[in-house]
Amino acid sequence: MYALEVKNLCKTFGSIKAVDDASFSVPEGSIFGLIGRNGAGKTTTIRMMMNIYLPDSGEVSLRGVKVGQEFKDKVGYLPEERGLYKKMKVLETLLFFAEVKGKTGRNVERSAMDYLKRFELFDRRFTKVEELSKGNQQKLQFIATILHDPEFIILDEPFSGLDPINTNMLRDIIVEKKREGKVIIFSTHLMEFAEKMCDHLAMIDHGKVILQGSLSDIKARYSQKNITLIHEGDISFLNGHPFVEKISDFGNSTGIRVKDEKNMQELLKLIIERGVIIKKFDANDISLQEIFVELAGKEDDLNFNKGVRNA
Amino acid sequence: MLNKRVLAVIKRELNERFHSKAFIILTVLMPLLMVALGAGSTFFMQWGEGHSRITIVTETPELSAAFKAELDSCSFVKSGKYTIKYYTCDKSAFKGYLNSVKKEIIDEKITALLYIPGSAFNDKKIEYYAKTPNISMQEKLNAPINKILVNSYFRGRLSANELQFASGGVDFNGFTVTEKEGVTEQSYGNIGLAYVFMIFLLLSLTVMGGYTLQSVIEEKTNRIVEILLSSVKPQELLMGKIVGATICGLFQMFIWLVPVFFASSGIMFTLPKFISVSLTIGPMIYLLVTFLFGLLIFIGLYASIGAIFDTPQDAQQGLFPVMMLIMIPYFMAISMIQNPTSAAAQIASLFPFANIIIMPARYAMVDVPLWQLLVTIVVNILTVYFVSALAGKIYRVGILRSGTKPKWSEVIKWIRYKY
Repeated sequence: MYALEVKNLCKTFGSIKAVDDASFSVPEGSIFGLIGRNGAGKTTTIRMMMNIYLPDSGEVSLRGVKVGQEFKDKVGYLPEERGLYKKMKVLETLLFFAEVKGKTGRNVERSAMDYLKRFELFDRRFTKVEELSKGNQQKLQFIATILHDPEFIILDEPFSGLDPINTNMLRDIIVEKKREGKVIIFSTHLMEFAEKMCDHLAMIDHGKVILQGSLSDIKARYSQKNITLIHEGDISFLNGHPFVEKISDFGNSTGIRVKDEKNMQELLKLIIERGVIIKKFDANDISLQEIFVELAGKEDDLNFNKGVRNA
Repeated sequence: MLNKRVLAVIKRELNERFHSKAFIILTVLMPLLMVALGAGSTFFMQWGEGHSRITIVTETPELSAAFKAELDSCSFVKSGKYTIKYYTCDKSAFKGYLNSVKKEIIDEKITALLYIPGSAFNDKKIEYYAKTPNISMQEKLNAPINKILVNSYFRGRLSANELQFASGGVDFNGFTVTEKEGVTEQSYGNIGLAYVFMIFLLLSLTVMGGYTLQSVIEEKTNRIVEILLSSVKPQELLMGKIVGATICGLFQMFIWLVPVFFASSGIMFTLPKFISVSLTIGPMIYLLVTFLFGLLIFIGLYASIGAIFDTPQDAQQGLFPVMMLIMIPYFMAISMIQNPTSAAAQIASLFPFANIIIMPARYAMVDVPLWQLLVTIVVNILTVYFVSALAGKIYRVGILRSGTKPKWSEVIKWIRYKY
């Protein structure tokens, strides 16, 4: 059963096709990653999912019904660029964001207090937002996203600009919410995070969905003939070696694609014989990044496209 | 449309406004400021007139005596604020005399020096020397001096009665004709009231518009708007902002009108007769109704300007067309005060946007036919409808975009966008 289905979404801004016939499905109870480089169309897709943008064509359905206001009430959304009213007080801010979701009264207030205590902001509940540190403003923003107990939590590039403490905190929230049976959708250009956190994903490039499915299925499909290697020493002799089809250096790890699966053992032997220290040799494993690069082109684009701003 | 989400937005707007010191100060201080300004200008007018020292130079002692007799009987001299000295010398000696008192004139020990030569009895030309020419003083001196000149010119030719008639000034006794109350004695109060209405409208529309502009830009640049739009529709958000600002504006206007009402009904303090206001409650209610439409129209426009631009500086420039819609009617209204029943005034006071400032001012001064009032209400309802649709479109597109400053031609394209 799919919680959300995105069917043939298209969105054009002037002459730019931001999203081009995008379709994917988000299963119940999953952590779903929307992956792609900056400017690929992730934010536009998310905005269409939430009815912030009207798609040119296509539709999004929630358990079989086209999304509308009732979906908005069930969503907690943390946009990429986060903001709060500077002059409002902490508790006031939380109650306002819950109120626009239709949640008012004692229960919300109690829940707000609990969260504030948990995130060590309780003493500052009557402080103006502008007087909080950036880290505390981020915490406040997380609470505002989940205070109304949404069924769906949509996070756009949630880890960008977070300090390590808040990164861990957000990860805890995501895991906790998944355990409660909520659906979590997040977009990111950081493949490592996606790989660690999500169980389903859709990869977007130039507005098109180039890959989608469960992480384990995708990995199984692409990991044949592939080795993930972590080592110390020189392996440059493998360049142009008859066993090897392709080598990709990812800094920490190296991905090696062999021409024939049978050659894997021999390759391992060869590397050991050359005196290279092997810390990890994972046959039939592939990183999400490798898959992405294979499908979407050079990794240079991946790392250096950070200047492109989302509309 | 007015659901719980819109109410939440309205509540937040009101909360922010009524907790803003600037808003409270403006709302409360405005009436006080008006009273202070009124009292102040009266005070300055009287203070400025105090202790005028005038020297009147004639060619014979008899003439000096005649002027003294006439001027001493004038009320403004009796009030003690004028000290008049008389001096006699002939034409050839006057130059020398003028030179000798030049320093006193410059030091304003002599406020004004009048030289009435013999020729004045034929051509009525007299000479006036002062450091700063004072028109109101000239006007005051005009009548008594004229009387002496006329008297001497016609002496022996006319009877005493005829002389008195010829030398007297005209006494204007003004009456205003209205349909309802027949003929009433005219006062300048209603012109003042028209000014007050115009200033109130101008000030409150621009102030409330400015607040809305700021808050839209804040939400846009802080990206709060994206979170809001994940909860509410853009139209709901815009409506919440307009309704919130409208409630604040009406509250403010109401506070401002209270002293005007008391002043005009003479309950708290009585105004001098010539500025008394003949105000029925009609124009005040009409002002509030028109102001309500004005807020709905202009707050919508201000909000869409805020949505178009990213910075307050750009928005200020972008505001120009909207400001024109307020300022042009304002200046039209000022010139209309001279002649509120002219065809131009009548047409302008029915025009969309313009009627919001012109009609209340016109209604404060003269009787406006009921059909014209009803026409403005219909025109305003249509304008609100049109502006909301337009502002809704522009707001919806603008609020989510950022980056380069858009051209007006692009903004016009937004209206056709399907968002």
